[in-house]
Amino acid sequence: MKRTSNILVVAALAGGALLAACNTGENHRKPGRIYMPDMYESRAYEFYNPRLAGLKPVEGTVKRGELLPYHVKEGDTALANTIKNPLTITEADLAEGKRLYNIYCGICHGTSLDGNGPLYKGGDGPYPAAPANLAAGGPKSHYTQGRLFYVMTYGWNAMGSYASQLDRTQRWKIAAYIKSVQGGEAVALPDAAPATPAAGPAAATGDSTSNK
Amino acid sequence: MYRRVSIRLRKQFVSVLILCAGLVLSVSTAQAADPNKGKTLFQQNCASCHNVHKKVTGPALKDVESRWADKKLLHQWIHNSAAVLATGDQYANNLYKEYNNQAMPAFPSFSDADIEDILAFIAVESTKGPGGPKTDAGPQGAASAEGSDNSLLFGIITLILAIVALILMQINSNLNKLAADKDGVATPEPVPFYRNKAYIALAIVVLFIVGGYFTINGAIGLGRQQNYMPEQPIHYSHKVHAGINQINCLYCHAGAEKSKHAMIPSENICMNCHKSISTYSGPDLFTAEGKKINGTAEIQKLYDYVGWDADQQKYTKPGKPIEWTKIHNLPDHVYFNHSQHVVAGKQQCQTCHGAIQDMDEVHQFADLSMGWCINCHRTTKVQFADNKYYSIFEKFHQDVKAGRIDSVTVEMVGGTECQKCHY
Repeated sequence: MKRTSNILVVAALAGGALLAACNTGENHRKPGRIYMPDMYESRAYEFYNPRLAGLKPVEGTVKRGELLPYHVKEGDTALANTIKNPLTITEADLAEGKRLYNIYCGICHGTSLDGNGPLYKGGDGPYPAAPANLAAGGPKSHYTQGRLFYVMTYGWNAMGSYASQLDRTQRWKIAAYIKSVQGGEAVALPDAAPATPAAGPAAATGDSTSNK
Repeated sequence: MYRRVSIRLRKQFVSVLILCAGLVLSVSTAQAADPNKGKTLFQQNCASCHNVHKKVTGPALKDVESRWADKKLLHQWIHNSAAVLATGDQYANNLYKEYNNQAMPAFPSFSDADIEDILAFIAVESTKGPGGPKTDAGPQGAASAEGSDNSLLFGIITLILAIVALILMQINSNLNKLAADKDGVATPEPVPFYRNKAYIALAIVVLFIVGGYFTINGAIGLGRQQNYMPEQPIHYSHKVHAGINQINCLYCHAGAEKSKHAMIPSENICMNCHKSISTYSGPDLFTAEGKKINGTAEIQKLYDYVGWDADQQKYTKPGKPIEWTKIHNLPDHVYFNHSQHVVAGKQQCQTCHGAIQDMDEVHQFADLSMGWCINCHRTTKVQFADNKYYSIFEKFHQDVKAGRIDSVTVEMVGGTECQKCHY
């Protein structure tokens, strides 16, 4: 009698083990068994429901520690050109700008700002359009920091907005970094000015007055 | 007479020949359009808005010459598009409207020869057909190495040895019995092995140990999801994006530096690149089951989610969220912060997530158990010097200076305190 009870105990243990072990499915497509599911399937994770997924902050909300909002409307490049960098840029900020540039911009515009990043590779990469050449003397080298900030905020031609990845402080640091690599004193090239569509003469004058 | 005529004919023939040759030569010098020179000009001036096979900011330029009624007008358009629009040309004005009234910048510095070079380059490219460089890697995913597992071999050897030992024991007892019979000593009737108490006790002990091992392991594994690799709504390959195309992890998971969550990127981040990249031309992709994946169809799935029309280069429908399946899951009673580990702790993503740049489909690399967390906190040395985050630990700074300790681990700065993660 004692012996059979021993065997039963062992059999129960082995059976339980098998049940627990074989539960992730082929190629681990299933997550496996859990106990206390209320701790794992948290209500806090329900962010895919249509109401929450599309929620945006209330209009006019300013995040704590973030720079004040940028009021230039999309399309107003003439005003964008004249906006000055509100940050006092230090060496550390330029280093941070470089780090951010290499992560978020370098993939297309190249780490040397020549418009030839790993996604374009001189036409061999997967990206079909040539990214803008931001290097000194290039067609975009007359862009002010304000204009660079505008492009990062709203996008330009094939480039999309980076406002969801980079906050305002980070975007200004990148703009400062790009200008510092171009040599600070940006020279407005006469033949480059017409290469900016929709910018018009107002943009050109804005460039020449606000060049730093 | 006959000879004179033939001489004259021959003279005429030669002169015609010279004339023809001269004509051909003059034509060819006038149109010595050089596609290579055109390529350089195209990449410097046109490529940021135009692709030969694909609509980008401006139209695809394949067979552009046949679309314009007059080549002279095309030259004028490239020199100064606004002037052509002002003449009221029907085709030009329709084009302008189709592209959201965005004018093509003027290129007055181009000479006619430059434009011919560019057009020659476009003509050459037009015949080539679309598609980037094809790197044929072959079906490597399906035929991944099985991994030589020796445990089966060892198991078989153990079993054979056990049987041999059993047989030897049987022989031994039989010989003993024979010897006893010979001596005339009476031996008790042998008990069959399944009623032999020693055997039964041994079997129970073995079963208990093996069963207990599996039970404990199974119980510990409850709620742990190591190697979990769910099928995702879109076959997004981290290998293609982070590995082959070298996109930084933070490009999409920008939250890893700023917040508790690394963030599943919103769809606009996908569309930063995929507005223009609508076809897949990399190495072949396979699921874990070995099914071949059509990369271009997967990009089309993204377009369906966001409501993007690749032909019109416009959002035509309202977007809806892509319901990715969450892989890494911590229970509610654990606090984990990405920015703390990435910024202050300066950890690489791969430390916890494995070689994500080599994974076509992501699986959970670490078991995310508490033992795994604590082990890492005990052994990892924090970057203590020049890190403002740890400037308040004065005693350790002094100890390091005095040479009493050479480094500071996470545990020493409170990394194994209960309340650090459970509160």
